[in-house]
Amino acid sequence: MDIICPLAVPKGRRLCCEVCEAPAERVCTACTVTYYCGVVHQRADWDSIHEKICQLLIPLRTTMPFYNSEEERQHGLQQLRQRQKHLIEFCYTVAQKYLFEGKHEAAVPAALHSLRFRMNLHGLSSVELVPAYLLLAEASLGLGQIVQAEEYLSQAQWTVLKSTECSYAIQSLLHRNLGLLHIAKENYEEARYHLANDIYFASCAFGTEDIRTSGGYFHLANIFYGLKKLDVADTLYTKVSEIWSKYLNNRYQVLSEARIQQIDLLGKRFETDTGLDEAQEAEAIQILTSVWNIRESTSDTAPQKTIFVLNTLVMLYYLMMHSSKAQEYAERAFGLAKEHHLSVHEQSTIQELLSLISAEETHPVT
Amino acid sequence: MTTLPPLPMTHPKLTSLARQKLPCFPSTIPRSQLIKEKDDIDHYLEVNFKGLSKEEVAAYRNSYKKNICVDMLRDGYHKSFTELFALMEKWDALQEAARVRSLFWLQRPLEEQPDKLGHFYHHLTRAEAAERKEYFEDVYNNLYALACYFSNSEDKWVRNHFYERCFKIAQRIKIDGGKKEAEAHAHMGLLFEEEGQLLEAAEHYEAFHQLTQGRIWKDETGRFLNLLACESLLRTYRLLSDKMLENKEYKQAIRILIKASEIAKEGSDKKMEGEASYYLGLAHLAAEEYETALTVLNTYSKISIDLEDDLSLGRAYEAIAKVLQSQGNMPEAIKYLKKVVEIARNNFQSLDVMRASTMLGDIYNEKGYYSKASEYFQQAFDTTAELRNMRHVDETKVHYGIAKAHQIMLTINNYIESEDLTSLDYLLSWKENRSSIAPHPIIGKTLLFESTSFCVILDGCIGDFYFIGNFNYSLPHEYRMCLHAVLYVPLMIRKAGNSGND
Repeated sequence: MDIICPLAVPKGRRLCCEVCEAPAERVCTACTVTYYCGVVHQRADWDSIHEKICQLLIPLRTTMPFYNSEEERQHGLQQLRQRQKHLIEFCYTVAQKYLFEGKHEAAVPAALHSLRFRMNLHGLSSVELVPAYLLLAEASLGLGQIVQAEEYLSQAQWTVLKSTECSYAIQSLLHRNLGLLHIAKENYEEARYHLANDIYFASCAFGTEDIRTSGGYFHLANIFYGLKKLDVADTLYTKVSEIWSKYLNNRYQVLSEARIQQIDLLGKRFETDTGLDEAQEAEAIQILTSVWNIRESTSDTAPQKTIFVLNTLVMLYYLMMHSSKAQEYAERAFGLAKEHHLSVHEQSTIQELLSLISAEETHPVT
Repeated sequence: MTTLPPLPMTHPKLTSLARQKLPCFPSTIPRSQLIKEKDDIDHYLEVNFKGLSKEEVAAYRNSYKKNICVDMLRDGYHKSFTELFALMEKWDALQEAARVRSLFWLQRPLEEQPDKLGHFYHHLTRAEAAERKEYFEDVYNNLYALACYFSNSEDKWVRNHFYERCFKIAQRIKIDGGKKEAEAHAHMGLLFEEEGQLLEAAEHYEAFHQLTQGRIWKDETGRFLNLLACESLLRTYRLLSDKMLENKEYKQAIRILIKASEIAKEGSDKKMEGEASYYLGLAHLAAEEYETALTVLNTYSKISIDLEDDLSLGRAYEAIAKVLQSQGNMPEAIKYLKKVVEIARNNFQSLDVMRASTMLGDIYNEKGYYSKASEYFQQAFDTTAELRNMRHVDETKVHYGIAKAHQIMLTINNYIESEDLTSLDYLLSWKENRSSIAPHPIIGKTLLFESTSFCVILDGCIGDFYFIGNFNYSLPHEYRMCLHAVLYVPLMIRKAGNSGND
C-alpha cells in the first residue's frame, strides 16, 4: 500500500479513486494500476472484489504492447474485449451473490466495477448498463439509501424506455427492483404494479412456472402479507414453494437417472448439484427460509404446508451437499408430521428423505 | 367605439409559485432547496392538473393483453394469470401449427380481441376469489360462463379447456347433492362425443345418468336432466353400436343396445324406449337373429301404436318386413309392406312410399309376378316423379324398366318360339310403333307397353344397341343400375332368340 502524491502526477493525467472517483492518494501495490482516495475505500474494495480481480486488471489498464502487424493488433483488441466481458460477468455475479447474502456494503464496489466496464464496452446509453444499475440500486436499497437507489433506477428505467429492443428478462429485473424500491418507500400500490409487471415479463421470458419468476411472486406475497391479506399471500407463498419444489425434484430425478445410467467403475462418488449459480442458490435459500418462517407461525392450522416447505428446503440443502442442514430440517419436518398425526404417506416421504441424507453422510466426501 | 373589457387574467397558483421562486432570484439558493421547490411544483401539477395518470400512460403504451395480466397480478390473482397465459401460449402454438401446415388461420390473436380478454378477466378473477373462500359453486358458475362464452366453433378448444376445469371443480361441490357434478359429466361426455371418443363419452354419460337417477333437476331450459342423460346415453350407445356393426362385431353391438333399451325403459319415456328397441331390432337383423329381431320390432310397433305415432309405426313395419324378407316369409313381408305403403301415403311420406313400393316390387319381381312388380315400381316412379328428385327418379325408372322388360319378355319369347308368319307380323309391327304388343294367343293376356323411356332400353337391347345416352345419369349408382338393366335384358332376349332359332 503505497502513498502517492497527487501533485507529483504528470500533467494532464488524473488519478481517481476506484470507489468514489475523488483524487487518489494511494495505489494498490499488487497491481499498481488501481488508485484510492484513502485507506477506507481501499479496504472496502479489497474485501469486496479487488482481491479477486487484482491481477486481471493489469492488462486492461496498462497500454497495449506494440504490435507489429494489423492482424496482431486486431487479435490484441479482441483479447482485450474478451477480458472485459469476462470481468463484467464476474463482477456482476460476485455482486449478486453478496446481495443475496445480505452484504450490501460489499456488493457496491463489485457492482460499480461491473458498471464501469460495461460503460467502456457498450457506451453510455446501452441497455447493457441496466443490470449493473439494478445491482447498484439493490445494494443502495439494502443500505437504506433510497434516494440513491431511486436515482439508479430512474437511470435504468430511462435507458430501457429509450431502447427499442430490451429483453423481457431485463425488464422483469427492472420492475422487480422498482417494486422493491416502492416497498422500501412503503408505497404499496406502486410496488404491486411494478411487481405485477415483473411477473408478467418474467413469464414472457421464462414461463410462468420458472424459478426466475418465483421472485416476483415472493415479493408480491410479502406485500399482501404486510397488508394482512393473508389468504392472497397464502396462495402466493404456496405458488412460490411449489415452483421451487418442482424444480428441485426435477433436478433430483435427472441426477438420479444419470447416476443409474453411468455406473461408476471407480467407485467415485457422484456429485450432486442444484444446477443453479451461486446467486440463485442464495436466492433459493432466502426465499424458502422466509416462507418457512411465515409458515411456522401458522403451522398449527396447516402443518402440511409447513412440511411441504421443509421438504423443499431439505431437498435444496441435500442437492447443495449441506447434509447437516438437510438433516436438521428433515428431522424438524418429521417431528411436525408426527405431532400432527399426518397420513402415512407424508411420513413415509420424509422418512425417505432422511434415509437419503444419512446414506450420503455415511460416505463422506474424501 | 367601445373597448372590450380586458380579459380577466387568471393567475393560477402555479404561476405565482413559479414567479415567486423560479427566475429572478440570485443563485444563492442552495441546491437542496431548489430540488424541494421542484418537488412542490411537481406535486402541485399532479394534484391540480388532471393529466394522464401512470395507469393511463401504461394503458396507452402497452398492449391490452399486458394490462389485463398486470391488473390480475397486482390484485394477487396469480392463478388466473397463469391460466390466461397458458391459454395464450396454446393459441400461439395452434397458430404456429397451422402455419407449418400452411393452413389459412382465420382467427385473430387473442390479444386483438379485447372483449374476449375482458371476459377472461371478469370471470377468472371472480372464480379465483371464490376459490380462495372455497365457494366452489361460484367457481363453477364463473368457469361455466366462460365455457358458454367460447362455445362458437372457432374457440372450441377454449370451451373444452373450461369444461375440463368445471369437471374438476364440480367434484368438490358437495352441497347440491351432485347436480353440478352431473352437469360437468354431461359436458365432458359432449366433449368426448365431439372428438369421436365414444367409449369415454359413454363413460361420462353413464356417470351423468347415474347421478341424475331419481332426481327432479332441470336445466336452464326446463328439461329434466335425467331425461337428457338418457337421451345422450342412447345417442352415444347407438353411435357406438353403429361403429361395431360396421366392424361386424354383432354381439358387442347387441349387448350395448340391450343396455340402451334397459336405460330407456328406466327413463320412462315411451318414445325413447321405442327408438332403442328399433335399433336393437336392426342390430339383430344384421346379426341374422331373425326371431329375436321380430319380437323386439313387435314391441316397437306396439309402442308406436300406443303412442299413435304413424311415422315410427311405418318404420317398425318396414323393419319387420325386411326381417321377414330375409327369413323368406314373403307373404307376410308383403302384408307388412302394404301396410307401410298405406301408412306412408296417409301421412304424405313420399320417400317412404317409394321405398316400400320398391321393396314390394323387388319381392314380386323375384317371385316372377312381373305385372305386379311393374305396378308397384310404377307407383314408386310416380311418387318420385312428384318429388322431382332426379336421383330417385332415375333409380325407380330403371327398376320400372327392368320390370317392364321382364313383363313383355315372355310374350315376345312366345312369338319368336312359335315361328309363324303372324307372329313375325306382330313382332314387326311392335318394332314399328313400339307402343304395345298384341297379346299372344296362347297366353291370352293383354299387355300394354307405353312408349316411355325404358322402351328405348328395350329397343336398344333387341337391336343390340345400348342406348344409355338417352339417360342423363350423373350418379354412379344409377349408372350401375342402368347398365345392369341394359346388360341384363339383352341377355334374356338373346337367350330367347337362340332358343327360337333352334
